[in-house]
Parts: sequence; structure tokens; C-alpha cells
Amino acid sequence: MSQHQVQAPELHGPTQRTTAALARFVDTTPSICPERAMLITESYKETEALPMVLRRAKALEKILAGMPIFIQDGELIVGNQASKPRSAPIFPEFSCKWVEAELDRLANRTADVFLISEETKAKLRQAFAYWDGKTTNEFAAAMMPPQALEAHNDVVYTVGNYFYNGVGHISVDYDKAISQGLSSVIAAARQALEALDYADAEQLKKRHFLEAVIIANQAVIDFAGRFATLASSMAADCADPIRRDELTEIARICRKVPAQPAETFHEAVQAFWFVHLVIQIESNGHSISPMRFDQYMEPYHARDKGRVLPEKAQELLDLLWIKFAELNKVRDENSTMAFAGYPMFMNLIVGGQKRDGSDATNDLSFMCLQAAANTKLYAPSLSIRIHEGTPAALYKKAGEISRLGMGYPAYYNDRVIIPALLARGLTREDARDYGIIGCVEPQVGGKTEGWHDAAFFNMGKVMELALNDGVDKRTGKQIGPKSGSLETFKTFDDVMASYKAQTAYFVRLMAAADNAVDMAHAIRCPLPFLSSLVDDCIAAGKSLQEGGAHYNFTGPQGVGVANAGDCLTAIKKLVFDDRLLTLAELRQALDSDFEGREDLRQMLLNRAPKYGNDDDYADAVAKEAARIYCEEVNRYVNPRGGRFQPGLYPASANVPLGSVVAATPDGRKAWSPLADGVSPISGCDTCGPTASVLSVAKLDHEIASNGTLLNQKFHPTALEGDQGLNNLKAVTETYFQNGGFHVQYNVISRETLLEAQAQPEAYKNLVVRVAGYSAFFTALDKSLQDDIIARTEQTF
Amino acid sequence: MNWKQRQHTFRLSDRDRPGPTGLVFDIQRFAVHDGGGIRTLVFLKGCPLRCQWCQNPESMFPGPEILRIPHNCISCVKCMTLCPQQAICYDGGGEIGIDRVRCDLCGDCVTSCYAGSMTIVGRYLTAGEVMEEVDRDRKFYAESGGGVTFSGGEPTAQPDFLLSCLRAAKARGLHTAVETCGHSPWETLAALRDVVDLFLCDIKHMDTARHRELTGMPNERILDNIARLSQAGSAVRLRLPLVPGANDSEANIVASAQFAAGLPTLEGFDILPYHRLGEAKWRQLGRVYPMHDVAPHTREDVLAKACLAGQHVGGVGIGG
Repeated sequence: MSQHQVQAPELHGPTQRTTAALARFVDTTPSICPERAMLITESYKETEALPMVLRRAKALEKILAGMPIFIQDGELIVGNQASKPRSAPIFPEFSCKWVEAELDRLANRTADVFLISEETKAKLRQAFAYWDGKTTNEFAAAMMPPQALEAHNDVVYTVGNYFYNGVGHISVDYDKAISQGLSSVIAAARQALEALDYADAEQLKKRHFLEAVIIANQAVIDFAGRFATLASSMAADCADPIRRDELTEIARICRKVPAQPAETFHEAVQAFWFVHLVIQIESNGHSISPMRFDQYMEPYHARDKGRVLPEKAQELLDLLWIKFAELNKVRDENSTMAFAGYPMFMNLIVGGQKRDGSDATNDLSFMCLQAAANTKLYAPSLSIRIHEGTPAALYKKAGEISRLGMGYPAYYNDRVIIPALLARGLTREDARDYGIIGCVEPQVGGKTEGWHDAAFFNMGKVMELALNDGVDKRTGKQIGPKSGSLETFKTFDDVMASYKAQTAYFVRLMAAADNAVDMAHAIRCPLPFLSSLVDDCIAAGKSLQEGGAHYNFTGPQGVGVANAGDCLTAIKKLVFDDRLLTLAELRQALDSDFEGREDLRQMLLNRAPKYGNDDDYADAVAKEAARIYCEEVNRYVNPRGGRFQPGLYPASANVPLGSVVAATPDGRKAWSPLADGVSPISGCDTCGPTASVLSVAKLDHEIASNGTLLNQKFHPTALEGDQGLNNLKAVTETYFQNGGFHVQYNVISRETLLEAQAQPEAYKNLVVRVAGYSAFFTALDKSLQDDIIARTEQTF
Repeated sequence: MNWKQRQHTFRLSDRDRPGPTGLVFDIQRFAVHDGGGIRTLVFLKGCPLRCQWCQNPESMFPGPEILRIPHNCISCVKCMTLCPQQAICYDGGGEIGIDRVRCDLCGDCVTSCYAGSMTIVGRYLTAGEVMEEVDRDRKFYAESGGGVTFSGGEPTAQPDFLLSCLRAAKARGLHTAVETCGHSPWETLAALRDVVDLFLCDIKHMDTARHRELTGMPNERILDNIARLSQAGSAVRLRLPLVPGANDSEANIVASAQFAAGLPTLEGFDILPYHRLGEAKWRQLGRVYPMHDVAPHTREDVLAKACLAGQHVGGVGIGG
């Protein structure tokens, strides 16, 4: 395919309005808002007689009608999630015991601080009293087999994300909501309702869902109406004639969208925002992803060309970017270790192919990249799709943004992802239309319930169990099958067989745990608004959570591929090939965490080949370790009728997952972090970035269709000048030609990070890409900061 | 076996394999400042010059050398117990020291040192073994317009080996560059011309007396070789390692730039700012670093001197 001649449009920097809004954002400390928790509790008390899906719709209606709203100075895009900018609402229906337990620590914990007043605490305690025994968490725990819950508690895997929170991880049909308006959704639900034959029990079941869709969508339209009223009254009180006109325009737009089809770019952005916002009020699942924003928004942008100055269009985008960053979510203290930096994982992707296979690049693709440069925030997570026809100009613009050191855009490979999705049963057009959810998970938006972040599977722990006959070194408990140990292995095949047996056993338990949580959401927390914007829920007359989506998956992630691979490689090479080491010596060294056996640790570290150095010996073993996990995951089916599909990425769970794993034969000390994603172990990729990406590309990325993640760090001098951009492109292209899935680049110096760690005040705006997302570096927990600093810096 | 794994053992007898074999002290992938695009840099050991600021002092001596990296040492003292020559023992200060006269480079300490503290610099490789490593990044060369660069030390000091490597690279269609100090017989350089796409020529000082003080050798042959290479049609980039107090005077910068401007095939003039990253290696080799007290230029200084050069020659760059 020839690269067609796409030129970058004229691009514009931030306006004064954008700069002022950014300054206000950075100066705002997140806080906790009690309003949603109070309103939903009140609503639930009123609706106990109703079916759950209707209760959810009525709760949303009450929240949207009762929550405080505001319009900030200079805002053109309006709509707030909670009572203050950056403040987080509370979702007691998913779980609230941890919130109650941690209320007094939220304001003074080490990462992701939230201010909270005594008054708020009191209101929340009062609300929480209602929820005892009523949450999805408690229901899921009751449904989970005890062994599955135990393995979760022992951190062999963790299903914590959806166990305690909403699911999120979705992209709705934004195009439909914007171009047809929510009125059309209501009309479709009405029509479906009228066609039901209530004498048929199956059809009778659909009634409540469709009624809930109507209530929820009307509630969103009314919510927009509240902003119209507020803007009108603010306009009436406004002395500044320019701002008065702006407020009047906001009022006009909010009366029109999202109810009616948007026509102008401003209307389309506002309609988008209301939809995107309310999804985050209905539930607290993160990774609500706008996906192919440049595709569904371009018609409005194109229509406005000539009527609206390009710098005004860019300003609307920049302001939207700040609104993205204002969305927030409070997590429990442990989870902030795995998800640090107030991330919402809202993935927005530009470029790639259209449904017919032609190149999709347009002016907005460039403007979205520019918005990231203008705002330098950690949200949204910006991504770019690369295919044979990606225009050189877009590649170059992406490289220029990568060079800014914010960790994005993340690059995705159409050549691997489209076939991977085809293999999962998507049509060719749907596969070409893919976007990314959250960190790295591909799917087609508006028709998929992917459950992408179903679990983190601790490959390091499984390796430990495989060498210890299923006994957990940390607790001394027998938690896995008796599959052999360093005392009993006779050949390397015995070691592999043990690793495989432990993997199979715990993947099976993990599937049971995931399915229990999945069913709990269907029963306790169906989401009518979200469902109404995903095919085929209205046609099927059931919510997403009950299996209403066209495509259904469950995607758990293996974490520590490099550790599992390097452990097996070390044993294979040093014990069985070279006979430098006996299993008994290894046992003794591991049991003492290498105390007094530093020489053996050095042997394991330096004499065994390591994944990440383009060494075929080590890479083949890592590939096999990954394949074993992936094939086990592929066996299972979820309650929504969809398949499990594996991923290999960690968010930043590699730190907490490592903290329960004893010393391992890759030379890793006990309780230290695992490797991140499919990246090599920190410090072990000593042959430079080309060797590193060639190694990683040897894994089978297509089978890991829930996504893989490679972090590659460069010193800024690596990317100087046009030659630097050219080299970055060459690394990306070669990785992708060889079968890589995703790569993201950190372009910062180690010194900068150390300095930022020492003087956080001076580096408040420093954004670092942490395994699949970007966060303010200074907001991260110290151990995570250390982990980032320790990652091999690729210089030359 | 990749370059990294070759470090685990050392055998002097590798030299005597059917060859030619050459002594290589490093192979670096993803080099981006040495000839354009993404390149693999092959460092050949041995150099006729003795530049005081040399950042690769392990490259000077044309034979293998034992070197100890103290911060890697875990004090297991296996090297001491194993050394058949008893060449490794505590020095007066309680540090592990090496008797370089006793050491016969048997390599036993290298094999036993898992921490990578005891090392021998230099491995005897065949051109085929070099190319095995170079081949690994061919896709990156193609995507970025890169290739392979032979550096040193002075690569032309091992002419037969260099030529066989370059021929192998050319047979693969790779872009080739040679980084040379220019101090070699003209015949050696002339023989390379057919298989070298770009010569990266260092120029240390335009005044021959000063050149001899700083590097141990005069500069006439060097300047003559560079001019002849260019006149014969070979592409040349000139590189001036800018060393404070040594060659950074206005007069020398102007003279260097003017010399460069007179080369008909000049592709660029690179100013390489002085840095101290090699100082520790002098110590590890048991030598004294002559420029210990010299502070690098500030960024502004380098820019000003680059501007000065730019008044006399086109294509001035900083850092290669």
C-alpha cells in the first residue's frame, strides 16, 4: 500500500484561556465528594421493590437531578463529575467497607492523596450503614469458590479491580450518541418495548431493561438542561459582554445536545462530553475510552472549517483534554500501588485504517496530538495506530510528541492487532475499526463488553510455587498442586511440567473467580445508560452485564513474563546444560534470599542468558513461558457467552505482585518488583534498544489478543533532530514488522527523575508513562518512582 | 554467542584460528552518532596515538589487557585463589590488585568472576563472528539509513582484519563507515576506499608540534591522508574532539575549519565536546588519567566555538 500524501494541517499552541484553565487544574488538590453516595443511598431505599436494572436507572436519575453542578471561569465545555473539579464521587454499591476503613487516611497517604472534610466523612458513614451486605463485592465473594478466593488473597492472581469497583473498560457508540442524539436512543427503546409480547416470559424480562434505558437517557438530557439553565442565569448576571455571549452559547448548546443531533464542532464536543461524563457517574469503572475520536468527530470539524478559526477548534480540544483530566476516582491504598497517579486510562487513539482498509488520518488526528502537547496532562491516554499506509507526516508528528517525554503517544501495530481480532471472531470491518481500551486492550468500540482488565496473574508467584511443590514460601501453606520441587526435578522437562501444572491449576481458579465477579455485576449492577449505547443491548433487551453486547470477552493479564522466562532459562542453562550449579545449591540460595550466596546470585544474573538481549536461547524460553499461560487462558468461557483471552501487561501491578514473591532463580531478591509488561527485567537488557525490541517481538503477540505492553526508555539525546525522529520511527517500524503489538517511549533522563523525587514541588508537572498510562511522577508512590528510575536507560 | 556472552571466557588461543582474526574490544548496537542512522559500532583494539583525553584508554594497547571493575566486585576472592600465577593479591591499601607482569592472560579469573569485576579487554574474533553480531540489526539499518561503523582504537592498525570485515559488510549491502585518526600508511587507507562509504576522520590539532605533545605523534601524515582520501573521491566527515586547554583556541578552531573547507568531498564538520566518562577506566587499567583536573566546556562555550567554526566551513554539527 502506498503512503498517501497527507500533510499536517496548520497547528496551534495553547490559548490564554487554555493556559489559565491548566494553571487552575494543577493547583487543585483532589478531594472526596459525598453527594453521589448520599443520593444513591436515598434512591435505593426508595426502590427496594423494583427490579435491579430499574433501580439503577432511577438512582442515576436522582443523582443527575440532585448533584451540585457548576461552570468554571472561561469554560466552554461544561459538565462536572462531582461537587468540585478533580473531586471524586463515591460508589458504595460496588464496595464501601474499605472506604470507611480508610476515610481517615485518604488525605495523608503516600500516593494519590484526596482531601476530605469531617463533614464529608460523617455523611459517608451515614450512607454506608445502608450498604452492609448489599454490594457487588460481597455478592461476588459469596459466589466465589473458597479456593478461588484464597488464591486471590494469596496474590497468585488478583481479580481486585472488578471485585471492588465497576467494570468500565468500554467504549460506547459515541458516534450514534452525537450524530443521532439520545432522543433516538429513547425512540429505539420505545419501539422495542412496543414490539414485546409480554405473554412470552423471555420477552417480558426485557421490559424492565428497556424502560430503564428510557429513564436513564432522559435523565442525561435533563442533566444537560440543568447546565443550560445555569449558563443562562450566569449570562444574565455577567458584566463582561464577551463572556455573556459565551454563556448564552453554552446554554443554547446544552439545550440541544446530547438530546438532538450535534451539528457544529462545539456541539459535538459538548455532546461527547456529556455522554463520556455520565458513564463515569453511573459507575466507577475506569478505562472508559473515547477510542477513535478523530474518526467520529472529523465530520463536525470539517463542516466548521472556514466558519470557525482553527485556533478556536484547537482550543475546544485543549479544554476537553483538561475536562478529561478533571475526572477522578478514589482507590483503596493497596490499589494505588498498582494504579498510581490518579489514572483513568481513557484511551483515545488516532490514525490507522478505516473500515474499508484505507488510511484514516485526518486533520483531527494531528490536532489530538497537538492537544497533548498543548496541555501536557496525563489524560487522556493518547495512542496512535500504525499500518503500512500511515502518512509520514503523522508519524513525524507522533515522534515529536514522544520526544516531549510524556510517555505518549503509545504506538499500536495494525499488522498484528487486526489478525488477532479476526482470530477472536470479529468481522474484517470491525477488526479494522479497532481502538484501544485502557492500557493496551484492543476491541471494536460500541459493540464489545471486553472485561479487559479481568485479573492480574502473578507469573512470578506461579514460578515460585512450581519450584516448591505448590507451597507458598511466604506463608508456608500448600496452595497449589504437588507438581515437584527443586528436590525432585531430574530434567529440565520436569521443571517445565511443574510450571505448566501450576499455571493450569491457578488459571482455572482465576477463571472461576472472574466468572463469579462477572455474575455478581449482572445481578447487582446492570448499567442501563452505558448499555443503551452499546450494540446489541437494546435489540437483545438486556444489559451489557447480562451479555447484551455483540462481542463478549474476559481478559486477564499475565505479569512477569520476563521473570518466568529468565527463571526457567537460568535453570536450563546453568543447572542442566552447563552444570555450573546444582539444584540443591539453588534451593539453599533461594531459601536464604541469597544471603551469603551473592556469588550464586551474580552467576544467575550474569551467566544465564537474559530475555531482552536478542538472545535466541533466553527468548525461546520466555516465549514458551508466555505461551503456556496464554493457552491455558484460552480454554475458558465467561457467563456472557464470550471467551477468555490473555493479555501480557501489568499497569503497574508488577510492583505489588512482586512484593509477595520470594527470591527467584533469575537472581531477583525476595519481594522485589516483577518485570513490567513484556519488557525485559530492569537492568537485564544490556544490549540496547534494538536488541531489546527484537527479543520482545519474538513472543507470540497475536495469541495475547488482550494486549501486550513494551516500555522503551530513551535518553533525550537519542531523539535530537530529524535524525532522532527517524531513528525512533525505525525502532517502531522494525518492532512492528517483526510482530510487536504495542510500544511506548519514555524520553527522560534518570537524573531528572531523581531530582523530581527529591524535589517534588519543582516537578509538579512532570508526566511519566507508567506501564500503559501516564501519570504525574510526583504523585506516584516512592517504590514505584524507584522502579521507574531503575528501568534501564537506553543511551548511546 | 552474542558479544555479551563472549565476555564470560577469554582464550588467547582464539588469536591463532584460521582468520584473519582481529582484536575487538567492544561491539555496540544502536549507535546513532557515528555515520548516520542506527548503526552497530565495532571497536578494534590498538592505537598509534596516545591522546591525553582518550575516553577509551583500554583501546590503546594492541593486545588483550586485564582490567578490574571494583564496583562490580563482591569480594568472593575466587580470582585470588584460582589464579595459577598468583598475580591477584591485596595491595597495600587492602584493595584487590593485579600484578600485570605476572598475569599471563590465562582467563581463569574471568571465567570464575560471576560479578563481572575481573575482565580481560579484547576478544579475538573472525570477520564472520563480527558480522554475526552486525547482522542482528540489519532491519534497523534499512529503516533508518544506518549501517556498520568500525572504530577503535585505530581500526586501520589491523588492516587485514578490517578489510575482511568491510568486504563482508559490503557483500551484505550494508552502509560502511570507518572512524580513523588518520595515522596509517596511505596504502592501507587506499585499499579500504572501495569498501568504505564514509570516513570519519579525527583531527586533534592543526599545529604539528602541539599535536605531538597532545597525542605523541605529529600531524603531517594525518592531514595528508585526509586530504588524499577526499581528493580521491571518498566521502569524509571531519571530527574535532574539543578539549579544554588543548585544542580549543580560536586559532586552532579556525585553522581546523579552514582545513575542512578545503576538502572537496566534505560531508560535515562535527565538534565532539570533551567529557570525562572514561576517567574510571584509566584507573581500572592501573594508569593515571592525565586530564583529571580539566572541567568540560559549558554548553554555551561549545555553541560559541561551533559558531566560530561555522564561519569557515559548512555543515557544522555538535556531537556527531
